[in-house]
Amino acid sequence: MLSRSIPQFLCDMAERMPDKVAVVCKTRSVTFSQLHQEALATAQCLRETGIAPGDRVGICMEKTLDQISVILGVLFANAVVVPILPRLKQPNVRHIIENSGMVALVTDSDRMNEVLDFADMSRLIVGHGTLDRDWPNLPYMRQFIRPQMFFDRISNDNAAIIYSSGSTGRPKGILISHRNLADGTDIVADYLSTNENDRICCVLSFNFDYGLNQIWQTIRKGATLYLHNLALPNDLFALLAAEKITALPVMPVIITKMFDRQLKLATKAHDFSSLRYVCSTGGRLSDGMLNDLKTTFPAAKIYSMFGLTEAFRSTYLEPSQINSHPTSIGKAIPECQVFVMDEKGEECPPNVVGELVHRGATVTKGYWQDPESTAKVFRSHPRFPGETLVFSGDKARRDDEGYLYFVARGDEMIKTKGFRVSPTEVEAEVVRHPEIVDAVAFAVPNISVGEDVACAYTTIARQPIPEHILKQYLKAHLPSHMVPAFLIHFEGFPITGNAGKLDRKTIKQTAFERLGLDQAAVATSSVNA
Amino acid sequence: MTDLQILNDYIRGEIGYQGELYPDLDLLEKQILDSFNVVQWAMFIQDRFGVQLEAEDLVRDNLCSFSRVIALIDVKRALGLTGQPQPN
Repeated sequence: MLSRSIPQFLCDMAERMPDKVAVVCKTRSVTFSQLHQEALATAQCLRETGIAPGDRVGICMEKTLDQISVILGVLFANAVVVPILPRLKQPNVRHIIENSGMVALVTDSDRMNEVLDFADMSRLIVGHGTLDRDWPNLPYMRQFIRPQMFFDRISNDNAAIIYSSGSTGRPKGILISHRNLADGTDIVADYLSTNENDRICCVLSFNFDYGLNQIWQTIRKGATLYLHNLALPNDLFALLAAEKITALPVMPVIITKMFDRQLKLATKAHDFSSLRYVCSTGGRLSDGMLNDLKTTFPAAKIYSMFGLTEAFRSTYLEPSQINSHPTSIGKAIPECQVFVMDEKGEECPPNVVGELVHRGATVTKGYWQDPESTAKVFRSHPRFPGETLVFSGDKARRDDEGYLYFVARGDEMIKTKGFRVSPTEVEAEVVRHPEIVDAVAFAVPNISVGEDVACAYTTIARQPIPEHILKQYLKAHLPSHMVPAFLIHFEGFPITGNAGKLDRKTIKQTAFERLGLDQAAVATSSVNA
Repeated sequence: MTDLQILNDYIRGEIGYQGELYPDLDLLEKQILDSFNVVQWAMFIQDRFGVQLEAEDLVRDNLCSFSRVIALIDVKRALGLTGQPQPN
């Protein structure tokens, strides 16, 4: 008997629906049977290049069907998937290779130059692209190899290490077991009711858990996954209609791109009635984003979700509550509990801000080779003896009905004039301004009041709004202690790698430079936080 | 300056790409343009050539290479659909 795992799910589906189309990309598509054979063949190729069980294998690739084959191949080879964002800065790549003890790095032939410097640290393998004589090429090797099944991991074995770009310091590797992946798959499939009639459009990258989960959903439930690289939104709209897509997982940054006001959009020209749901995680959904989604996809349910990689996913909001609780992150996902706790580990009463604590199936194994950080975040609680919970460090609150609200990342609360201000609440109000696309609020040190509220923003027209006009608007909508003392216009916001989140750290640094504040002030501010 | 030179200069100057460029090079596939700056690329084409790009024009196939862009501009010009160049 195979353990409950992604390889087991694929073996099952290849048997149950061998001829159903599993994945479609621009150049080719595969059935479940073909995907299964390709994964087994890839595993065998990896074994022949010397990959042993438990070895960490880096994957630095663009989103292609070949990338999916490599991810699955590494799992079937009893090895551990370590995604590396393409175009990640060299010191970070070096850190991930060293920290994970990576024995091999699979990349695209086009990308070889990006990783050539690491050839002495890790074996380089081409997973997609043209053959040359210097490097093993998996698509080429697969043609001559007999697929073999030798997967033998148990559920508790390591399946993946995902490096998160924390707000400070080096990226930390989050260690994920086969059981974590299997549980995360079934929990999400449960509340999204994923089924074999689903056609999932994947605009996400496979370098983080949210994107990877789209592959797992497809394999587990026999859905079909359509790979799409979002560039111009009209191409996405055409695909949604032509392929009768039923599921569209996005992030706030993607929604902003989809409804870019600078472009004429073909949303009216298509029939999106097949779209069953849009789900989003990775940041706040503004009123504007919700409005765009509801107007364009009137038949679709909207799932607002929240999670951190340490526990994959924590909450989702029932779509029926999106109008009455638009800013809520909802309630705990199945098989998990989420608490708001004070510093003593007691549950906070409603409407009191505390730390978000996650308990249940999706709690990962900890940080890879980092016992100190692991001990801080992965801790026990007297109420649940013998169990490990994730103490997220994030600030949240619960309302009288039990709905949860994200308040801030732990180190981002702004302390001003005796108040503790949530950047999220400031941002939510700033983006209500009709000209503003996105906003990032943060603290600026000010001796007389502790900290000032500052807010960076982007506009539809990419032009600044005169400060006195914007301030007047905000004064009418926010309590005075929450009105930003500094408003900094950005033409566009930087995004972290291709994980698709706003790069708050860089935005804050750039804003500090523009405000003429030096790095010492930034450092002081973060120490005090 | 030819249309091709104008487009070439934009990719060199605004996008800062220093590698090889030729008319049929797929700028999106080679990631010279990404989902962020492709919007600026479209706006530039509209403003610089004084053409109105409608929703059906604003698709990958029309904007992914110099030759596709030039073909699109030519069609727009032939149809006499050029407006006044807009101030940037």
